[in-house]
Amino acid sequence: MKEDKKDLSFEESLEKLETIVKELESGNAKLDDAIKKYTEAMNLASQCSKTLDDATQTVNKILKENGSLEEFNIED
Amino acid sequence: MQDKYISITKLNNYLKAMFDNNPVLQKVYLKGEISNFKNHTRGHLYFTLKDENSRLSAVMFAGNTYNLNFKPEDGMNVLVEGRISTYPATGAYQIYVDKMELDGLGNLYIEYEKLKKKLSSEGLFDSKYKKEIPKYPSKIGIVTASTGAAIKDILSTIKRRYPICETILFPCLVQGEYAAPDIVKQIKKADEFDLDLIICGRGGGSIEDLWAFNEEIVARAIFECNTPIISAVGHEIDFTIADYVADLRAPTPTGAAEMAVPTISDVVFKIKQLQIRGSKCMTNMLKLKTDRLNLVKDSYILKNPLAIYEVKEQKLDNYIETLNSIIEKILRNKKHQMLMLANTLKLVNPLNILENGYSLVTKDDDVINSASLLNKDDEVNIRFSKGNIKAKVMEVEQ
Repeated sequence: MKEDKKDLSFEESLEKLETIVKELESGNAKLDDAIKKYTEAMNLASQCSKTLDDATQTVNKILKENGSLEEFNIED
Repeated sequence: MQDKYISITKLNNYLKAMFDNNPVLQKVYLKGEISNFKNHTRGHLYFTLKDENSRLSAVMFAGNTYNLNFKPEDGMNVLVEGRISTYPATGAYQIYVDKMELDGLGNLYIEYEKLKKKLSSEGLFDSKYKKEIPKYPSKIGIVTASTGAAIKDILSTIKRRYPICETILFPCLVQGEYAAPDIVKQIKKADEFDLDLIICGRGGGSIEDLWAFNEEIVARAIFECNTPIISAVGHEIDFTIADYVADLRAPTPTGAAEMAVPTISDVVFKIKQLQIRGSKCMTNMLKLKTDRLNLVKDSYILKNPLAIYEVKEQKLDNYIETLNSIIEKILRNKKHQMLMLANTLKLVNPLNILENGYSLVTKDDDVINSASLLNKDDEVNIRFSKGNIKAKVMEVEQ
């Protein structure tokens, strides 16, 4: 199994999680594989959940004329 | 006296010269409605321009009609450019039209239809070019004005639904003649950032307000952009060229934000569901495998390993039994055969005949069946049914 979890985006992780669960549900996997897959799935799931939990309110930015990014607040 | 009278021609020529020498009349811009439209066989157009109170004859020579982007008809409101002069034959003044276009929306509509047709035939609207909109974007670029309802709606919707998403605003003009190049510039800039998605648009307005999104350069910039683009121009009913080219069209800026990001609680729920499904699978699988293992473990053979031999032994016994019975049968047959042979032998035994009073003469173990075989004084053996005698030949009779 490749150790590429760190590089996966949230979307990729979630998609991978979906794929693995579907594979598990197909019931075709051998027990050894299934255990590996299951472990991976649970890791992915907790990773995804963590991303969601950890995400503090992200800042909105605006690209300035000089090319710099600054915080952008919309006046209500 | 007569000299003060001049000819009509002279007057008309004089008047024509007056018109032609007036710089103001050399280039006039008029706005009016077409009536009495006639398309001369030689290609010149003759018509009257009018408003509520006045009318003016107009002629557009064939040489100028090539640039017309519409077919003039009675009742159309047009903008014309030309010079005022007279036609000496009648003395009537009229406008000689150089350029004519539909007034207001009519003209915009024609341009819109023309561009739509052109881009469509080039394939810019083809679904095969539509890029997939990512389901869970982490960074979204927004190309719109930094003030106004659109950016407010987009940001507040994203914040409400999916606050973990970063946004970068690429501010641009969204109406007026500089809007289109500005939109193009910002789309290109946004495309250089590592964005998952771009939302490009503006809030509602008149068709003229939205016009920048019907410009060819904007359409091409959207088409060439490598980042997926959701267009969000005006209201639900407004369909701009940008909407056709974009990878996804949203009815409004708020709608674009809703299409761009999922609701975070849905995502949390989805992950939970996936976790549950995964665990359930694992539990089921383990139970299934355990059951199967138990079934095998409980099998008769594993519980009674000797049974393996029992079976074999029984088989062996069967074989032996079969063998025995075969041998017995063979023996029986042979015995029977022997008895039969003995009986037959008994029947054919030559000695049996002796019992009837016959006797058997042998000489040196040869059976004598003819007197000629013997000579006088030969010693013979005579066998009776019971007992033997030795005898001497006294005489041989032939």
